[in-house]
Amino acid sequence: MRKDDELQTIQRNVYMTFFEDGVWDIFLGLFVLGWGLSILTEGSYLPGVVFVCLYFIVWGIKKRMTYPRIGYVRFSSTSRRRIKARFVILLTVVLLLGLLAGVLFGIGSRPQWLVDYFPLIFNGMLAAIVCFVAYWARVDRFYLYAALVFLGGVLHKWPGIPWEFGFISAGGIITSIGLGFLIRFLRKYPKIAQEGQDASQ
Amino acid sequence: MPASNSGGEDKRATSNIDRLIHEPARYTIMAYLYVVESADFIFLLKQIGLTWGNLGAHVGKLEAAGYVEIKKEFLGKKPHTVASLTNQGRLAFETYRKEMKQVLNKLPNSK
Repeated sequence: MRKDDELQTIQRNVYMTFFEDGVWDIFLGLFVLGWGLSILTEGSYLPGVVFVCLYFIVWGIKKRMTYPRIGYVRFSSTSRRRIKARFVILLTVVLLLGLLAGVLFGIGSRPQWLVDYFPLIFNGMLAAIVCFVAYWARVDRFYLYAALVFLGGVLHKWPGIPWEFGFISAGGIITSIGLGFLIRFLRKYPKIAQEGQDASQ
Repeated sequence: MPASNSGGEDKRATSNIDRLIHEPARYTIMAYLYVVESADFIFLLKQIGLTWGNLGAHVGKLEAAGYVEIKKEFLGKKPHTVASLTNQGRLAFETYRKEMKQVLNKLPNSK
């Protein structure tokens, strides 16, 4: 029905405001960049540290920059439960993949195919996770990010471009796109100093 | 005559329509609040594109009818107003949509 479509459109509009500021793009971009830097510097702890730091930075930006500009909305309990369930599924998949990689590399004699194709498999898994986010959040540009991440693995396997280069390039591009969205968002929505007052430039 | 009976039914059907919700700005406010649990005034203002005065007036009417609940609080020193639909408001919105669908379905095709 037309009216139902209208309500769905409104719901989607509400939901999309969470991605309009490009903050999640920047989060993903810097996380991928962190992977590249961790390979480059052989600091395996780096992605974890980056992930935790970015998580708090994202909420800080949301609180200080996003909500004063476009306001705050609390989703219905059903939607919140759905979001939580998807987040738990995503986290479980990530942990299982990490565990699988750990087990495969923990065993003494690793199969040669695993050693040969590990970067491709790893980038593929990361790309699949980003695809999942794109599908779940219905934000199409995240499919492009997934393709960029996967491309890093392909370029490493065949033309032999350094593995970290793919991560750093993809991370840089994703962060730049996110910054572009953030700048557009800040221009489009000036901060409202106080309720009842017009937006201040 | 059948024609006049049909006209009478239509009149009855349209007279049941909740005119408070029927106003476009108020319908939009109700629709936004229907799909979420609560939203602050800044969010409603940005999404619906009303002025502060208009938004306040329309929400005030919905609040007076018992459709919307308003919570005023302070974030630091700044006032912060959050609106949400009451159960009565949610029910009224669903009834309005159902009645509008019935009215629109009864309309003859243009051809």
